[in-house]
Amino acid sequence: MSTSDTHLHIDNVSKTFGDVQALKGVDLEIKRGSFVCLLGPSGCGKTTLLRIIAGFENASSGHLMLDGIDISQMPPHKRGFGMVFQSLALFPHMSVAKNIAYGLKLRNISKAEQRNRVEELLNVIELPEIAERPVSALSGGQRQRVAIARALAIQPPLFLLDEPLSALDAKLRDNMQIELRQLQQKFGVTTILVTHDQHEAMMLADELVVLKDGEVYQSADPATVYQKPANSFVADFLGAANLVPAAVSKDGHVTVMGQEIACDTGQPVGTRLSAAMRAEHIGLVPVSMAKDHPVGAVKFLRDLGPATELVISVDGQDLRVRCDNATVPDLSIGAQVALSLDGSRLSVFRA
Amino acid sequence: MRVGLLPTEGKSTYRFTVLFLATIGILISSLPVVVVTIMSFSASDNTGFPPPELSLRWYWEVIAMFTQEDASSAQSVVDSTVTSLLVAFIVMAISTLVCIPLAYALARGDRRIREGMELLFTLPLVFPLVILGIAFLLIAESLRLEIGIWRIVIPHVALVLPFVLRNCIGAMNGISVETEEAAVSLGASPLRAIWDVVIPLMRAGILAGLIFALIISFNEFTITFFMYTIDVSTLPIWMYSRTVSSLDPSTLALSVFIIVADVVLIVLVDKLIAGRANLF
Repeated sequence: MSTSDTHLHIDNVSKTFGDVQALKGVDLEIKRGSFVCLLGPSGCGKTTLLRIIAGFENASSGHLMLDGIDISQMPPHKRGFGMVFQSLALFPHMSVAKNIAYGLKLRNISKAEQRNRVEELLNVIELPEIAERPVSALSGGQRQRVAIARALAIQPPLFLLDEPLSALDAKLRDNMQIELRQLQQKFGVTTILVTHDQHEAMMLADELVVLKDGEVYQSADPATVYQKPANSFVADFLGAANLVPAAVSKDGHVTVMGQEIACDTGQPVGTRLSAAMRAEHIGLVPVSMAKDHPVGAVKFLRDLGPATELVISVDGQDLRVRCDNATVPDLSIGAQVALSLDGSRLSVFRA
Repeated sequence: MRVGLLPTEGKSTYRFTVLFLATIGILISSLPVVVVTIMSFSASDNTGFPPPELSLRWYWEVIAMFTQEDASSAQSVVDSTVTSLLVAFIVMAISTLVCIPLAYALARGDRRIREGMELLFTLPLVFPLVILGIAFLLIAESLRLEIGIWRIVIPHVALVLPFVLRNCIGAMNGISVETEEAAVSLGASPLRAIWDVVIPLMRAGILAGLIFALIISFNEFTITFFMYTIDVSTLPIWMYSRTVSSLDPSTLALSVFIIVADVVLIVLVDKLIAGRANLF
């Protein structure tokens, strides 16, 4: 079943803790050299899945196939996967160089070669001068990079990261995301990162795996997951979406908030649906040009600089709208405005 | 504005009370040390207080006791000091070997088991020492054990374990599982991870526990009093017998040496782990 391009095949993996089923038959194929993000709310099983891949937990059922070899029973220290932990887990009693060289020391690599490799990695993470510093003397961002360098030093077949950026402040986190992505591409290492931050996942991933309640809800490239969410949970989790009831009115058309829109659902006429619309996919038009567009009142209005964020109340339902500043009509709170919906950007699900 | 539980009105009374109580406390706890120290400098042959004249003669006497072997006494002070130190070092070694793995297992294991075990190991602390001494004596006599120095080592281990264990558990608490897992993910076997990461990080706690073990074992009297034999006796027992037979200030000078050594060790513990030691 697995193609030669598949590096890790997570084959129908389940995990139960007592009565709780943390993972329910997760089946994923991870391509060689790809950057995979496991995304989901807390308690969705994403960290459990990562720990099973690392070998710190055993799957209750299912297999892990690395290059076609079953590694399910292999102890974690034999797997040789580099891992970056949420707490970073640097060794506080060792210098930066000793931290990075630790995995090499375990592999009986000569001292000279260890030194070269440490130097090389410190150059890659652009911190060549900190080798002899104790870990406690580093800033948050520096620790982050040292933890990444330590994991990459052993040239791991798989690079695993458990919410490694969650402790950083927003600006540093943005920079680290770009650096992490560049590092991953430089090393070409197959990478699996766990996060609950959808923005981070969108920034980093080649393949986005959305998990909820131990199940994979969708697995695709970020653009697809964002544009074509598989269900209302995914639509809502990745960037707040407006979820409104809809129904198939005739073949190839749905009715949303009283407006009939061309949208091919493949469902019979009369099927009740739920439609998801991104805040930035809703256009605003003056009421005078409304035709059959839904009309609502502005409830909240905020100029965010590049865009304006609005909440518009239509028949008692609040919709979030985000408009480019150039296209916003002159509005104030309480004003009436019509919404224009784009059928091609509408995601519909069975209600 | 700072709001205290105690009234800020009449602050001088409050301050006076605190100072008064603190002074009483310090006086009571340091009184014996002060008296013994002053007496040890006495120039007279008896232990009358206050000493009429001061001299260092009893300190020279103590040094002489250690340097000139006194063949007449069956158990010289040198022998009992050597035994005391030997007992203390064996006790330190055993308690470390027991407590490091135990602390690791308890810290990583079920919380309830850990609390139960901690309580269990605290039992010797609440047991009357005299009863413990009788119990150990009964065991040793009824089994007719000819175990030499171990007569004293075994009860000392029981006494010392709670202190060493608490310090080791305290040290374990600061070590996250992730640090250990990081070592394992880099290729260390679980045992290697403990050796390379856990034990170095526990070091301060282990050393603090060891120093407490040394002090407690070296100073222990009650249980040892039941367990000592003519061949195996410790320094506190020697000091007691000497004091009973002839109360001269040389014992006091010796105890000043011990007090100084203890204080140095306690300061070392304090420096070592910056007030994070758990004596109780």
